[in-house]
Amino acid sequence: MANNITPTQETKPVAAPWSWQKKLGFRIIFIFFLAMSIPSTASWYNNVFTLNWLRPHYRDLYDIARFQPSYVRWFTGGPNYGDVDGAPLPQEKNNDDNATSRDKRGERHHRYDRDTVNSKSNSTAIAPTIKSNDNNNVSMPPKRNFFADYADWGVALIFGIVGGLIWTLIDRKSKSYNLLYYWIRVVVRYRAGIGIIGFGFTKLFPTQMPYPSLGLLNSNFGDFTAQKIYWMSVGVVPWYQVFGGVVEIVAGTLLFFRNTTTYGAILLAGALFDITLVNYAYDGGVHVYAFYFVLLSLFLIADDVPALYNLIIREKYTTHYRVYPDFTKPGLKYPRIVLKALTFIIFFGILTYTEVINFKYDPYKQPSTAGVKKLRGNYHVTDFKINGQELPYNPNDSVRWQEATFENWTTLTFRVNKPVVIDPSNGGGSPMHDIQRTFEITGVAGGERAYHYYADTVDKVLYLQDKNAVALLGNRRGGRGGANRRENQNQRPGNWISAEAWKHIGDESKMIDPAAWSARRDREFAQKQRGQKRNRMVLKYDTTDGSRVILSGINEHRDSIYVVLDRYDRKYVLPKSILSAGKY
Amino acid sequence: MLTIMTQTINNNTQQEWSPKQKAGFRFLFLFFILQALPLSVDLFRFLFGPNWLSYGYIFNLTRLAPKFIPGADSFINWIIVLVLALIGSFVWAGSRYKEQDYDKLYYWLRTVVRYRLAIGIIGYGFLKFFPLQAPFPSISNLNTAYGDFNDWKIFSLSLGIVPGYEAFLGGVEILVGLLLLFRKTATFGALLILVFTGNVFISNLAYEGGEYVYSFYLISFATLVFWFDAHRVFNLISLDRPTQPNAYQPIFVGTQQTLRIGLKAVVIFFFVFLYGFKTYSGYHHDPYQFPKTAGLKHAAGIYNVSEFRINNKVLPYSATDPVRWRDVVFEKWATLSIRSNRPVLIDSANYEQISQKDEDRNYELVGSAGRHYYSYKVDTISQTLLLTNKNPHYRNEHFSLNYIRPDSTTIILNGLDQNRDSIYVVLNKIDKKYPINLGRRKVLKL
Repeated sequence: MANNITPTQETKPVAAPWSWQKKLGFRIIFIFFLAMSIPSTASWYNNVFTLNWLRPHYRDLYDIARFQPSYVRWFTGGPNYGDVDGAPLPQEKNNDDNATSRDKRGERHHRYDRDTVNSKSNSTAIAPTIKSNDNNNVSMPPKRNFFADYADWGVALIFGIVGGLIWTLIDRKSKSYNLLYYWIRVVVRYRAGIGIIGFGFTKLFPTQMPYPSLGLLNSNFGDFTAQKIYWMSVGVVPWYQVFGGVVEIVAGTLLFFRNTTTYGAILLAGALFDITLVNYAYDGGVHVYAFYFVLLSLFLIADDVPALYNLIIREKYTTHYRVYPDFTKPGLKYPRIVLKALTFIIFFGILTYTEVINFKYDPYKQPSTAGVKKLRGNYHVTDFKINGQELPYNPNDSVRWQEATFENWTTLTFRVNKPVVIDPSNGGGSPMHDIQRTFEITGVAGGERAYHYYADTVDKVLYLQDKNAVALLGNRRGGRGGANRRENQNQRPGNWISAEAWKHIGDESKMIDPAAWSARRDREFAQKQRGQKRNRMVLKYDTTDGSRVILSGINEHRDSIYVVLDRYDRKYVLPKSILSAGKY
Repeated sequence: MLTIMTQTINNNTQQEWSPKQKAGFRFLFLFFILQALPLSVDLFRFLFGPNWLSYGYIFNLTRLAPKFIPGADSFINWIIVLVLALIGSFVWAGSRYKEQDYDKLYYWLRTVVRYRLAIGIIGYGFLKFFPLQAPFPSISNLNTAYGDFNDWKIFSLSLGIVPGYEAFLGGVEILVGLLLLFRKTATFGALLILVFTGNVFISNLAYEGGEYVYSFYLISFATLVFWFDAHRVFNLISLDRPTQPNAYQPIFVGTQQTLRIGLKAVVIFFFVFLYGFKTYSGYHHDPYQFPKTAGLKHAAGIYNVSEFRINNKVLPYSATDPVRWRDVVFEKWATLSIRSNRPVLIDSANYEQISQKDEDRNYELVGSAGRHYYSYKVDTISQTLLLTNKNPHYRNEHFSLNYIRPDSTTIILNGLDQNRDSIYVVLNKIDKKYPINLGRRKVLKL
C-alpha cells in the first residue's frame, strides 16, 4: 500500500502571500486565542509564585492547570465566576462586597482562593431566595441568560477584534503569518493539554467524584438535586472514573506532540462536548469550562478539516503542507527541550505524586480526618429523650432523630423530618478544613443533617457543628445577609470549646498522615477561621465497643437530648469498590 | 448473479494484495459477514412473534446477532463464528475462488458491515431520542434509598432524569447511523461510533450492564469500517505526507442502479421513518418500560402508613419491626410498592428487552431492594385490589385487600396479606416535593 506516486495535481506553493482578509482574520484569531489561553487573574500568578515546590499539594498544581479567561472583572470588579468543581452561585456576586470589606478589616483572605470555589468557604456565601410554598425550603438562585455565562469569552473576542484592527494598521509589511500560526497552535495545544491533564489526574486517582458516604447511601434517590445524582452516578464506579481520567490524560498527552495533535483534539472535543451537555442537563455548573476545551480543540482540528474532507469525502489526492520553525537552531532547540521536559516533570511527575497522596490520605472532597474508631456505621435511634421527655420512633416527628450514621471520618449524620435549606453547590474546591468539605451534604434533601465533630477522646465529648453553612440563612430570626454576618465577626469560633478540650482534641492540621502535609494546608490552618453562624451541639458519648452509643448533651436548639444508638449492619445492594480513597 | 462494473482511477495506484493480506482478508470477510447475519436462536421467536411491526418488534430485529446459545449475549458465540470463519477461509483458499477481485470484495464487505452497523445503532438511537430506554424514575424509584440500587439501575435512573440529554444521545446515534449509509461519510460515522460506543462498552463493564457484548460487536464493525481509511488518515495527519485517496469506485448501471437505490430507500424507510414514527407514538402512548394498565384513579403518590394492625394488634411506628409497613407508593399505573424491613431478593436483569405484557415490564423493580412491588387488579364494585408480587422470586404471592377511600388523600386497606395474616392499614398521602425537578437556572432544552 505504497503512496509514493507522482502527484497528478498541481500543488500550491506554501509561501504564497495571504489575502488581506486572511491576514486580518488571523490577527483577530491570534489575539483572541492568546487572550483565551493565558492566565488573566492575579490569583493564578500569586499561586505560582508562592507555591512551595518542596511541600506541594495537588491543588497547587491543579490551580496552575485550571484557569479560564476572566476579563469581565477587570471592568466590573466582580468576582470571577470561573465555574469549577462546585461553582459559586450567582448570588456570590452580592456577597462579595462584604468579602472585600472584610479584607479591609485586616483579616487575611485566601487570596489564591478568591477565584476558585473557596470564595464560599469562609463567607456565609449564599443568601438564598426561599420559595415560600416549597416544603423543602430549597434555595433557588435567579435565572441567568444563557449567553451571560460566556461574557468573558466575548470580552476576549473584543480584544481580538480591536487588537487585530490596530495590528492591521501598524503592520504593513507581513505577507503571511505561517510561523505565528504555528506558535499560536503551540500555545493552544499546551493550554488544552495541561488543562485537561489537571482534570484527568483527579479522576485517575478517583477523588473528583467521591464514593457516596453512608448518609448519602441512606437517602432516597428522589431527595437529591440533579447535579448530585450525576456526581454520585460516577462516584459509585471508581473504575469508570479511572477510565475517564485515562481518556483525558491520553487526549492531553497527544496534544503535546505535533504528529498526534489532531487525534488528541478529536478525542478532547468529543469527550468535553459530551461533558458540556451533561453539565447543561444536570446543571452541574462546569459547562463553560468544559466548552472552553471544545473551543480550543475545534481550533486545533480546523487546520486538518479541509485536507481530511478533500481526502475522504471528495476522494482527491491531498497534500497538506505545514510550516514549522527550524528547531535545529540552538536558539529554539534547547528552550523547546527544556520547556517540554518541564511540562512533563511538573504534570506527570509532581502532579501525579501529589494526586496519589491526595487519594491515599487526603481526598479533597471528603473529610480526611479519621473519626473515632469505635463510632462507625449505621445506627438505629432506639431511644430519644428531649428535655427529659421520651419521644417514640415516628418518621413524621419533626424533632426526633430517625436514624443516625457515624462515617469513617469526623461526621455524624442523622435524619429528622424537618425541612432544611439545601446547599445546592457541589461541595467542591479544595478546602483544608474537614468542616468545609461539604460534598456529603450538598444537594441532599429528605431532612438529612451532617455534623462535623471534634472529638475529645479523653473526656469523651463530641463538639459538633452543622456542615450545612446555609442551614441558618433561611431563618427569619437569623436576619438577612450583612447584618447577620457582621454580628458574628466578633464570635470567635474557638470559645465554645475550652482550651483544655482543645488539648485533648489535638491539632486538626496534623491529624492526617504526614505524607499529606503541605505548605498549602499549613497556610490555610494558620488563618483565623471566620466566625460562621452554624448549628452546634455538644454531646457526651458513652460506649464500650461502639455497638451501643449513648449521646447526651445540648442540641442545636439548646435543648438537652439523650439519644441511644444501636449499630446495625445495613446491607446495600450497591457494591463497594476496592478503590477506596482516604485512610481511616 | 449481479456483476458490478468497477472503475479505478490510475490503475497503477491500486494496492497490490500480498498473499498474506489476501489470507487475512478471507478470514475477516467470512467472520464479519457471518457476524452481520441474524444467525440467532431468537430469530424465529421474533420473526413470527406477536405484534408485527410494533417498535419493539423492529428493535428486536435490529438487535439480532449470531447467537447459538440461548440466553444472554456471550462471547462464546463469537468464538463459534470465529471457528466457522477459519474453517471457511481454508476451504476458500483451496478452492478456485481464490483469485477474485479483492477490492470488489472489500467494497461489498464494507457495505454489508456498515449497513448492519447503521441499522443496529439506529435501533438504539430512537429509543433514546424519544426517551424510552431510560424513563423518568417512577415514584417508587424516587422513594428508594440510593444504596438499595445496583450499579446498572443507578446508571439508568441517573440518565432517566435528564430526558433532554438522553434525546441528544439518541440523536447522535441516529445521525451516525445515517452517515454510515453513505460510502463517503461512513468513515466519519465509524469514528464517532468508536468514541461513542466505546464509552457505552466501558460503561457496561463498569456498571455491570448486560450490553457489553453487543456494544463490542458494534465497535468491531465500526473498526472495520474505519480501517478502510485509517492508513490514509494516518499518512496525511501524522506523517504529513501527500496521500492518495481511495481509488476503488463501484459503478452501477441500469437495473443495478435502480435496485441499489431501491434497497437503500427500503432500509431508510423501514428503519428510520417507520421505526422512528413507531417509537414516537410509543413514547406518547406506550412507554415500554412501565406497565400500560392504569392504576386506581387519582391515587398516585406516596403514602405514610399512619396505622398498622396485624391480627388486630396495633404495631406502632418502628425502624426495626420486620413486618410493619413503612410507606406505600401507588404509581400512575397498576403497581403499588411497599417499603418495609422485609428483605428483598433482587431481580437483576440488566439487558434491553421490550415486552408487550405488563407482567413482563419489570423495569420499576429491577436492580432495586427496599420495596416489594405488586401489580394489582381493581374491582371497583367490590372495592378490592387483587395483588400479585412482580418480583420473579416471589411470584406466588397473591392476595386481595379491600380498599376504602374516605377522602382524596386517605386509603384504608384491609384483608389477608401474603402470609394469611389479617391486616388493617391506614394510608395518608404525603405531599412530597422532589429537588430533581428544581434546577439551579434555566434548563437547556435540547
